[in-house]
Amino acid sequence: MKFWGQILWTLLSGPRGRRGAPQGWAFNSWKTYSSPAGLSSATGIVNHWTRVFEERGIPEARESSEYIVAHVLGAKTFQSLRPALWTKPLTPQQLECIQELCNHRLQRMPVQYILGEWDFQGLNLKMAPPVFIPRPETEELVEWVLEEVAQRPPAVRAQDGPLILEVGCGSGAIALSLLSQLPKTQVIAVDKEEAAVSLTLENAQRLQLQDRIRIIHLDITSEGCCTHLLPWGPMDLVVSNPPYIFRKDMEQLAPEIRSYEDLVALDGGDEGMDIITHILTLAPWLLNASGSIFLEVDPRHPELVSSWLQSQPDLHLSLVGVREDFCGRPRFLHVQKSAP
Amino acid sequence: MRSGFLRSARRLWARRAISRMPPPSEELLARGGPLRAFLERRVGSEAGGLDAGSPQLAAAARLLNEKERELRDTESLLHDENEDLKKLAESEIALCQKEIAELKHRIISLLVPSEDMDGSDLILEVTAGVGGQEAMLFTSEMFDMYQQYAAFKRWHFETLEYFPSELGGLRHASASIGGPEAYRHMKFEGGVHRVQRVPKTERQGRIHTSTMTVAILPQPTEIKLVINPKDLRIDTKRASGAGGQHVNTTDSAVRIVHLPTGIISECQQERSQLKNRELAMKKLRARLYSMRLEEETAKRYSARKIQVGTKGRSEKIRTYNFPQNRVTDHRINKSLHDLESFMQGDCLLDDLIQSLKDYSDYESLVEMISRKD
Repeated sequence: MKFWGQILWTLLSGPRGRRGAPQGWAFNSWKTYSSPAGLSSATGIVNHWTRVFEERGIPEARESSEYIVAHVLGAKTFQSLRPALWTKPLTPQQLECIQELCNHRLQRMPVQYILGEWDFQGLNLKMAPPVFIPRPETEELVEWVLEEVAQRPPAVRAQDGPLILEVGCGSGAIALSLLSQLPKTQVIAVDKEEAAVSLTLENAQRLQLQDRIRIIHLDITSEGCCTHLLPWGPMDLVVSNPPYIFRKDMEQLAPEIRSYEDLVALDGGDEGMDIITHILTLAPWLLNASGSIFLEVDPRHPELVSSWLQSQPDLHLSLVGVREDFCGRPRFLHVQKSAP
Repeated sequence: MRSGFLRSARRLWARRAISRMPPPSEELLARGGPLRAFLERRVGSEAGGLDAGSPQLAAAARLLNEKERELRDTESLLHDENEDLKKLAESEIALCQKEIAELKHRIISLLVPSEDMDGSDLILEVTAGVGGQEAMLFTSEMFDMYQQYAAFKRWHFETLEYFPSELGGLRHASASIGGPEAYRHMKFEGGVHRVQRVPKTERQGRIHTSTMTVAILPQPTEIKLVINPKDLRIDTKRASGAGGQHVNTTDSAVRIVHLPTGIISECQQERSQLKNRELAMKKLRARLYSMRLEEETAKRYSARKIQVGTKGRSEKIRTYNFPQNRVTDHRINKSLHDLESFMQGDCLLDDLIQSLKDYSDYESLVEMISRKD
């Protein structure tokens, strides 16, 4: 962890570092890739950095270049920039800012960290390394939970919305998008990393949702964690995008993920099941009688989870639904508590 | 008979445009006029309860008759010897005339059939036509004008796609517009808009003529248009690899293909893929719906001068002449002489749209009468 922090600091301080210590990469990229004079329109600068990224084998060269330039010009995407800004010459400050951000990209820093923000569902969220960057699939997990809540009989919904527990809240993407769309809902969000807890809190405050969320610094694999959660009362739903990558697949992850994101949020153990089984073991204690669990998992997991649940009849849980993501891979699970 | 009637109706309107007479729909409602006869028949038939929702109409018609009788009675007092009585009559008459005008206005709004989609939200599409970069520059100005108009009307405006040219112009763009009576107003903007001016790029000071096209597509509700999910192919840039936590890509562009019609809808305005999908879907729904509507509309309104839909899209509806500082709408022969304010997309554009709406109401009334004849 300490080592990781050092790497991160070095990378983040990129342009600053170039003055002193032998910061090979940052130094080179500064010299080689400073923008040529006269090439100062937004379109020109996007093309320039696209070429640079391509030469250096940076994935999503054009997208990265467009997002960075658009961000500096105050837009979310290059397509949403006003056309007048496409051809207008950029100021030296803007060029310098683009330069600095692009240097981070040359170090394979994820675009979301470079911009310091990203969008999830309708929300704009602050992103900060090493907290896990929400993936687009997870937007669909939220959609599914929203559909389920909408279908609950009115008696269950009563005057209070459901009480939801999120395990591993990261930047707060799932919890906050649920809160923003379900005005009566309350969420208990837990994460074992301090950085995630404070980022979720910061995002909740940015979106003025802090009154309906309780963020707890808690490792659900730790002994006695149940006692921290029980006082909040029976939950209606547990939702989680737990670490689910098989340990043997971890090495193949792209440098953007391996060197910047908190690997604890990704590594699910030998079969990617470590945290999933912890959640499923804990859930029956926390859920009310008809409570549900919604999980994002690896496409190999639906079968593994199903047979694991059969081997654990005492949990009184059953897999009642599997949904595919937008690429057609089985990605989401709905597990329900059944009467003992 | 019918086309002859429409021709004379148009002459009547053109005359009014010049002399600023009261709206001719109200002239049609004058005693003995064709619309009045139609109204009497319509109200008469209501005893049989054929027409739902028209007690209001019947009441207004009755009140109109009463007020007109009152006016005639008062007019006879104008010849009275007594000066005081005469003065009193004059003020009574003025009041009566005002009430009659209001009543006629109300009757007309009750008579004009409102279209199904009038309450809908809509998709605005702008596309550069002939004239190269100059056409694209003008398209960009027009898109801005509609965005400002939406703000002026306090409508919701959301850009769905935007394809600029290298020189700051706009090839094509679309936006979703929603709010009270948005479609009812914007539907008159569909068609070819022509600009005449000296382009910034022109060195010899010659005036060029360029065009751009506006299309207005009503946004259907979920009930009005049902799309089978099996008919859709949704493409994203994450089709390969393990997906989920294994990858971190930022390309959020979405492309939806409607397989039966081959219609393609794309969106990359947003960083959230889900949001892009929603917007692309909105656009696709509007296209499919307008395709269906156009078949009906073409049949129903083939005789009209103000066209909404396919036919209207190829018609040159308006000219923006910069050297003369003039906007002319060719459908109602109306010219305005403050182009710059017009392009701000506030009162002047709103006035012109109101005139078009009045004229369209007038045409549908005339059409209604001639149909019954």
